[in-house]
Amino acid sequence: MAKPRSTPNFDPARQRLGTVYAKALLGASEQAGQTELVLEELGALISDVLNKLPDFDEALQTPRIPPEEKVQLLERVFAARLTPLTLNFLKVVAQHERLDCLRAIERAARLRYNEMRNRVEVLVQSAAPLNNQLRGTIAAKLGKMLGREVVLTTEVNPDLLGGLLVRVGDTVYDGSLAGKLKQMQAVTLEQTTHAIRESLARFSLT
Amino acid sequence: MTKFNAAEIASVIQAEIENYQDAIRVEEVGTVLEVGDGIARVYGLSNVMAGEMVQFPTGAIGMAFNLEENSVGVTILGDYLKIQEGDEVKALGKLLSVPVGDAVIGRVVDPLGIPLDGKGPIASSENRPVEFMAPGVAGRQPVKEPLQTGIKAIDAMTPIGRGQRELIIGDRKTGKTTIAIDTILNQRHSGVKCFYVAIGQKDSSVRNTIKVLEEHGAMDYTTVVMAGASAPAPLQYVAPYAGTAMAEYFTYKGEHALIVYDDLSKQAVAYRQMSLLMRRPPGREAFPGDVFYCHSRLLERSAKLSNERGAGSLTSLPIIETLEGEVSAYIPTNVISITDGQIYLQPDLFFKGIRPAMNVGISVSRVGGAAQIKAMKDKQVAGGLRLALAAFRELEAFAQLGTDLDAATQSRLDRGYRMVELLKQPQYQPLEVVDQVMIIYAGNTGSLDDIPLARVRDFETEFLQYVRDLKGDLRTQILEKKELTPELKTALTEAINHFKATFVKQVK
Repeated sequence: MAKPRSTPNFDPARQRLGTVYAKALLGASEQAGQTELVLEELGALISDVLNKLPDFDEALQTPRIPPEEKVQLLERVFAARLTPLTLNFLKVVAQHERLDCLRAIERAARLRYNEMRNRVEVLVQSAAPLNNQLRGTIAAKLGKMLGREVVLTTEVNPDLLGGLLVRVGDTVYDGSLAGKLKQMQAVTLEQTTHAIRESLARFSLT
Repeated sequence: MTKFNAAEIASVIQAEIENYQDAIRVEEVGTVLEVGDGIARVYGLSNVMAGEMVQFPTGAIGMAFNLEENSVGVTILGDYLKIQEGDEVKALGKLLSVPVGDAVIGRVVDPLGIPLDGKGPIASSENRPVEFMAPGVAGRQPVKEPLQTGIKAIDAMTPIGRGQRELIIGDRKTGKTTIAIDTILNQRHSGVKCFYVAIGQKDSSVRNTIKVLEEHGAMDYTTVVMAGASAPAPLQYVAPYAGTAMAEYFTYKGEHALIVYDDLSKQAVAYRQMSLLMRRPPGREAFPGDVFYCHSRLLERSAKLSNERGAGSLTSLPIIETLEGEVSAYIPTNVISITDGQIYLQPDLFFKGIRPAMNVGISVSRVGGAAQIKAMKDKQVAGGLRLALAAFRELEAFAQLGTDLDAATQSRLDRGYRMVELLKQPQYQPLEVVDQVMIIYAGNTGSLDDIPLARVRDFETEFLQYVRDLKGDLRTQILEKKELTPELKTALTEAINHFKATFVKQVK
């Protein structure tokens, strides 16, 4: 069966703040026509910098360093590497002491951007790795079904045994072999107990 | 004794596998963010309904209770200790519902309809949602049939009708549950289905109650819904609604049902716990603002349905426990204002030996005479009993001053003492309404005035036995006519005098 998604440091309150900042960020980047670029930079910042340098991440998050110093730090580190829009945004976030919400902001911005472009993120889990052709077919079929362009992410989960498990937002379409076996087990168990109960009644009559 | 044929079972399984319908399961899921104290906060479940059932990987059922912007507050109806952060929660797509029907009669179940009595699974194909809208004005009719409790004091002075809500209120150990149990025992031949909902009670006392019901053959038509003191608060909160859903099945089928909520103060406390854990703002006595609605929507489901809807009824006897007789606390005042009357029990009466310890002065039934048969309403039976007893209490207080009393006052006092004695009743011995009418008639017409006070109850039992044995005719006639015609009154007086002659001799 599908393992529960791990949600380290997931905080609904932060997520709510993130949504507000994401809205502002998208508003600004849409005007500048740089949304793709900004989102890509933000994603890279989190996956390549913050996740790999936990000390730096902590330095950005800690309230012990005053916001002015954080702004200067961001300027020194990223001035040459990020577009001005992204850097400015980071500075604004730093000034408001919300750098701890950066991951939530990135998540919310991605979701919102997909919504704006009529796209939807889909996670497909399979027992064995999918080849590109299969991925294309799945994406096309799902896109047709959902009426939206599909951004496909794939994961390999040997526990599924076979088949596919598709997640669209909070909805799970379980077509995996493990899921089917489990379902079959439940139905069979129920029917068999029913049959046994009936045969018990037959015994008590005679 | 019973042997299963392994091949037979195998063939069932084989058939099942062969006929297995392949379908992709679609589920709405969320992730547990935090869990504790019987509640869980869940992220996701974006399309969940308020009150929808959800399932945890451990198999425990939950109910979506708080829908917030970023998370869903779920109350866990079962074991919450095995649920962990990060667990996947499935929405089941249906509102919380329980099995109903004839299969639940005679059973002891928990608020989700899971049997607790070890008598095997409940084979019921029907379910009803736990929360159900009460019938509207057009679907009701006035309460007019009596629901006999079998307790003289209640049937005579605060009669309960089918479809009424009568509150039983009093301190601990004043016999609240006993009144409810007696009422259930008395439904043995009336065809009324009974439901006893135990909320926050000690498991041992519920066990005793069940034993009493079994011993008197009342479990044949009774269901016990149980959320004991050790059950999690969400289960205690849901229990009365679940019991009502089971009872409503019969009401909407045109039958009659009686439900006892024992007791609603503990349910309110469970609801307060849940609400505070869910961070709903506290109000008076820290109860949430909607605790009134919580009780009013529950009790509003008790009704007498209109003839078009089958004329079924659901009578409820909510019980409220007060602290030191404090009826002006939040929950008692709420429930008093919702119900159609209350039976007020007092510890001092209880310890004086007046049992049921009902305070006649402040106990009322807002349905009144409509819920009594004509014979009971008669002026010489229960017609003026309430006022007469009230006058007696006044007189009694005055007489305690020790002044000399004239003969008329003394005789009024004697009559009063005998009526009070007559209204005492041992537990688990409900009386049929005919018997009640006859004995109250005897007391009211003064036939007991010269019987020693200590022998009044012997007189009652022996007289009723005498009528049953020798005057069966008279008894059946009152039972059939449901009215005391002048001829019947003469016959009854004659019978009383005849019996009294032998009884007085025996006393001497």
